[in-house]
Amino acid sequence: MSVSEQTKVGQNYVDGLRERFGAAILETEWQTADQVTVTVKLGSLPDVVEWLYYQQGGWLSVLFGNDERPLNGHFAVYYVLSMEGLVKSWVVVRALVEEHRPEFPSVTPRVPAAVWGEREIRDMYGLVPVGLPDERRLVLPDDWPEDLHPLRKDAMAYNQRPAPTTDDETYTFVNEASGSTRDVPLGPLHITSDEPGHFRLFVDGEDIVDADYRMFYVHRGMEKLAETRMGYDEVTFLSDRVCGICGFTHSVAYSSAVENALGLAVPARAQAIRSVFLEVERLHSHLLNLGLASHFVGFDTGFMQFFRVREKAMTMAELLTGARKTYGMNLIGGVRRDIMKDERTRTLKLVAELRAETTQLIDMLLSTPNLRERTAGVGVLSKQVARDYSPVGPLVRASGFKRDVRDLHAYAGYGSLPFDVHTEDSCDVLGRVLVRAREFFDSLAIIEHALDNLPAGPVLLEGFHYQPHRFALGFAEAPRGEDIHWAMTGDNQKLYRWRCRAPTYANWPPLRYMLRGNTVSDAPLIVASIDPCYSCTDRVTLVDVKKRKSTTVPYKEIERYGRERKNSPLK
Amino acid sequence: MLKLFKIIADAGEATAKYPFAPFPVSPGFRGKPELNAAQCIACAACTTACPANALTMGNDTADGTRTWQLNLGRCIFCGRCEEVCPTHAIVLTPEFELAVANKADLLQKATFRLQQCEQCGQPFAPAKEIGYVMDLLRQSGVAVDEARRAEFASCPACKRKATVTRDAVSQHLSQEAEQ
Ligand code: SF4
Ligand code: SF4
Repeated sequence: MSVSEQTKVGQNYVDGLRERFGAAILETEWQTADQVTVTVKLGSLPDVVEWLYYQQGGWLSVLFGNDERPLNGHFAVYYVLSMEGLVKSWVVVRALVEEHRPEFPSVTPRVPAAVWGEREIRDMYGLVPVGLPDERRLVLPDDWPEDLHPLRKDAMAYNQRPAPTTDDETYTFVNEASGSTRDVPLGPLHITSDEPGHFRLFVDGEDIVDADYRMFYVHRGMEKLAETRMGYDEVTFLSDRVCGICGFTHSVAYSSAVENALGLAVPARAQAIRSVFLEVERLHSHLLNLGLASHFVGFDTGFMQFFRVREKAMTMAELLTGARKTYGMNLIGGVRRDIMKDERTRTLKLVAELRAETTQLIDMLLSTPNLRERTAGVGVLSKQVARDYSPVGPLVRASGFKRDVRDLHAYAGYGSLPFDVHTEDSCDVLGRVLVRAREFFDSLAIIEHALDNLPAGPVLLEGFHYQPHRFALGFAEAPRGEDIHWAMTGDNQKLYRWRCRAPTYANWPPLRYMLRGNTVSDAPLIVASIDPCYSCTDRVTLVDVKKRKSTTVPYKEIERYGRERKNSPLK
Repeated sequence: MLKLFKIIADAGEATAKYPFAPFPVSPGFRGKPELNAAQCIACAACTTACPANALTMGNDTADGTRTWQLNLGRCIFCGRCEEVCPTHAIVLTPEFELAVANKADLLQKATFRLQQCEQCGQPFAPAKEIGYVMDLLRQSGVAVDEARRAEFASCPACKRKATVTRDAVSQHLSQEAEQ
């Protein structure tokens, strides 16, 4: 897209980069008024990302690889920075990697937030991050063939499944503790939400000294599927299914990525309706997490009450979209369904009921003596760790950072809707509960305001032209932090590359620091406080059915339980 | 504690009587898609639109039939089929009880006759689609009577051939007229 000089937001960062790094800045290309992609020399990648991150108020939202050999003969790596200093914009740092020398300098030693992304690039593209301390796989199973990198264009079909060669896991869990510790395996089926994740707690008596964990047991290969099997306009329905809770948020993020790439102006009414649906999703998600918070402090009656009231939010979704979950409401260019007068009246009535009933419940939850006792000072995410790892959502907001893409980079109808970004300085589980409680009431206010002020006009843009090889970012604030998507269109109305990052992906890496220093009995509470979403994290390559089966039988893990183990200096 | 008891008392009974009483859904709820085969013209618009490949269409030229198939196991209840259908033959119902004991029961089929070309005898389009096209033309004021059905029931290749022959003849005539 051609963006005129006057409207460019974030030009200051580009100027700064040119001044500081001169010839290392090879090319700049604007995708939208506030999205710029800067191609840099491979060797300067860590310097450039570090400077934007720590000196210019950048946060690392996502990073990914792309096999651009059919386009320009190279692989590429992209580091997406959400610039949250004085000027709010997106700067994407891109570097080309030569095919015969598949490696790039790791950014992780400078910016820890890059760790999962770089491990994933190595798995998926076989590009080696030189200097990355953690050399373990992230996504691929232990017995996956060494030289098969699923997202390379010439690697494999989306439905290929290399036969499993072993039932044993060989993954090494890292223990950074200095004394002797005991291993406590949690999982593979998980403590909080009955989803698969393998946690290893290293404990001294009852105290957690360190923790490590492994995810991606339910990897569904969605990115590969979208790139090879589906039309770009069908992927909106696939993205609806990334998450069982915030699916609509993903589909907004995906649709807007394509809309941004193609330079489409989505009608104002469609944008406002998207915001309404997005907030409906936040309602039921936050009620679920508040219910879980009650459950974990032993207040199960409260849990039941939250779930009873939550049903009203589900009804609201069904009323407005025709489905309780997976709304299926987005198309590229807008939404498929308008909001009629009767639906509006009934929704407003539900909003009023939800407000009254949830006020009572939250009152009750906060006056439960057990709550403060169990959650205050527990699972602390220090400001430094938060700054280093770029977590998102209520987690980062409860550590004092005002990060919310609805506010920072307004999308959908949020530019003209009333809400605050709620923060807490306590950095603990309690803070996250309080942030969610306040956000819940803001969502109700947003829905009311939007329904009372829906702009007139169409809800869908029709008759645009698809263009291949255009790319841009799309994003939306899910209940647990922002979903961020990057889409590049390709030939035959198919995506060339789709990268989808769910919020929990950004929140897992700092979790180990939140577990340290707490007791084993607090672990479920702490994990629940990030409101984790397993399958969303696990979204890219392959599900190893056999392996998944074998991990649901935790005999081996039980055997290990209680076994004394010397601390191995792995790092 | 008292507060809690009051909330519980106010809430009353939260449990629905389902399945012993029907469970109502909101208007516009997207449940099981249902085909009205009498209305369907086998045009395949729905099978092209279906993002989940739940709808498929297969031709059997030896038999001269075309079979529409819905696999409910793949359906995501998006309603794209309903949106694109020109004859309202497929609609999403409020039906949500879809469990079956036998996987094959998830498949639904409808078979349509293919029209054989009046000239060459090859099947080329669903017979009902040809009737639909004639109806459409009539509706927009073009007088099309049944006698002209043969004209519409010709395959594109034969039509092209006929056009070329006709044009050649007329060109020939006009050249003669000039001389
Ligand atoms: S779009 Fe309608 S008429 Fe055409 S095949 Fe499908 S159901 Fe039949
Ligand atoms: S509802 Fe959607 S998935 Fe189901 S048959 Fe229709 S188009 Fe296909």
